[in-house]
Amino acid sequence: MNEASGLAAAIARARPRVVAALAAHLRDLDAAEDAFAEATAACLALKASPDNPPAWLLTVAKRKAIDAIRRKQAEIRAVDAAAMVNDMAEIIQLPEPIPDERLRLIFICCHPALAVEARAALAMKVICGLPVRAIAKVFVTSEATMFQRITRAKAKIHGAGVDFELPPRKAWNERLGAVLLTLELAYTVAYQDAGADLDPELSGEVARLSQMVAELLPGEAEALGLAALVALVRSREAARVDGDGAMVPLSKQDTSLWDETLIERARAWLDDAAKFGRTGPYQLMASIQLTHARRAFDGNTDWETILVLYDALLTVRPMPTVWLNRAVALANVEGVKAALEEIEKLPAGQLSSARPFHAARADLLARAGDRAGAISALDAALKLDPPRAERLYLERKRFDLDRS
Amino acid sequence: MQYMLLINEDESIYEGENGAKLMEETLAGHMALAQKLTEKGIEFSGERLKPGATATTIKWDHGKQSLHDGPFAETHEELGGFYIIDVASLDEALDWAKMLPIPGRGAIEVRPVWPMGE
Repeated sequence: MNEASGLAAAIARARPRVVAALAAHLRDLDAAEDAFAEATAACLALKASPDNPPAWLLTVAKRKAIDAIRRKQAEIRAVDAAAMVNDMAEIIQLPEPIPDERLRLIFICCHPALAVEARAALAMKVICGLPVRAIAKVFVTSEATMFQRITRAKAKIHGAGVDFELPPRKAWNERLGAVLLTLELAYTVAYQDAGADLDPELSGEVARLSQMVAELLPGEAEALGLAALVALVRSREAARVDGDGAMVPLSKQDTSLWDETLIERARAWLDDAAKFGRTGPYQLMASIQLTHARRAFDGNTDWETILVLYDALLTVRPMPTVWLNRAVALANVEGVKAALEEIEKLPAGQLSSARPFHAARADLLARAGDRAGAISALDAALKLDPPRAERLYLERKRFDLDRS
Repeated sequence: MQYMLLINEDESIYEGENGAKLMEETLAGHMALAQKLTEKGIEFSGERLKPGATATTIKWDHGKQSLHDGPFAETHEELGGFYIIDVASLDEALDWAKMLPIPGRGAIEVRPVWPMGE
């Protein structure tokens, strides 16, 4: 890695901490973002990289912000102007360690007074610095709409006087729910299309944010659960798509491509979470994925445990998708016939997308030997405009069935 | 910053045989809240409004005015009263708003007051 790209990476890593410290200091998200952008440009223009990029960025950004405030107030007297002479190259004294205000910033971006659909987007924009274009892609909307959403959320924070202090501990539960929900939303969107058309950077940022929340709130079992869930799904990123760009279903994935470090980290988070004795949907979903991950170590899938976990998940999340996935687990415990009976009870119209329903049904019918039924279910799934990786997989499956 | 707490409530809950007692309890709740605001040194004002049936609405349509019997919004909840409180942030305003007594269905809109001269 050359020095320039190394510096760019260091700046990106420094961003959450520095922007959070700036936001807490300036009490203004826009001002914090602008000051960071200016400091970044100044940093990249330096002849030699600073020794401590985060501290350098914070110091320079603070000065830039003060300049901006002065410019706005149009009160630049000659004395001030002289003091403003660009002295960034001579920064000798760096501030004490950067205060960690990231949690504060997350709570502000995910304030329950903001529209649900704006929270995760705002966090991705302000904390991770993702361009609006990329965020719009994650949420399957236009750049203009996403820009408006983020602008409105910022205007509300500013205009309605949202508190920039860390909320009192008793308010964390309500806030944390909002934070986790926004992360889950972002995660679902980032991973649902089998990684085919998505920028891997995006799923990486979701993972980074969820890990950050887990590390900042080590006493919140569900925050640990969500981080574990995201890490587990992420551990399979290299195995989810084959050389032709077709989706590879979990059961067919080459486990040697799974990232064992991520699996281990997720397991450790779940162990920590279990100590609190407060289970919840994220811990359950992560436990299901961890059970699947064990195949990398012993070659087996413990479907009975997975079925029990889905039963527990159904009690806290009685959603059609959970029901569908439980039926798939049931097929491996009690047989395909039992699973098909379960699946037929499920009204496909209630699913947010009926595609997984048809795809799962096709798989079960094929296993039951009903070739014609499986083919028509595959056609139904293919009609629903699957993303490229999934389409290739479904088409290949249909081709194989047609030929057999 | 000053915030206005607009109390929208289903009035029908205060009708019927239990209504008077419920209203008494609600008013006591408001008195207790006013007491708390005073104790905390928070500047506030507020009024209770007469029922929606007493409201008259003047509507404007590009220069044309017309009078209507009843409140502006056609909802189950009526604007029944308001507070203006002076607190540091939206979060504090929301905390106070959550303490308002609403025995039945209702909604409280919390809005920052546009400061003079801004």
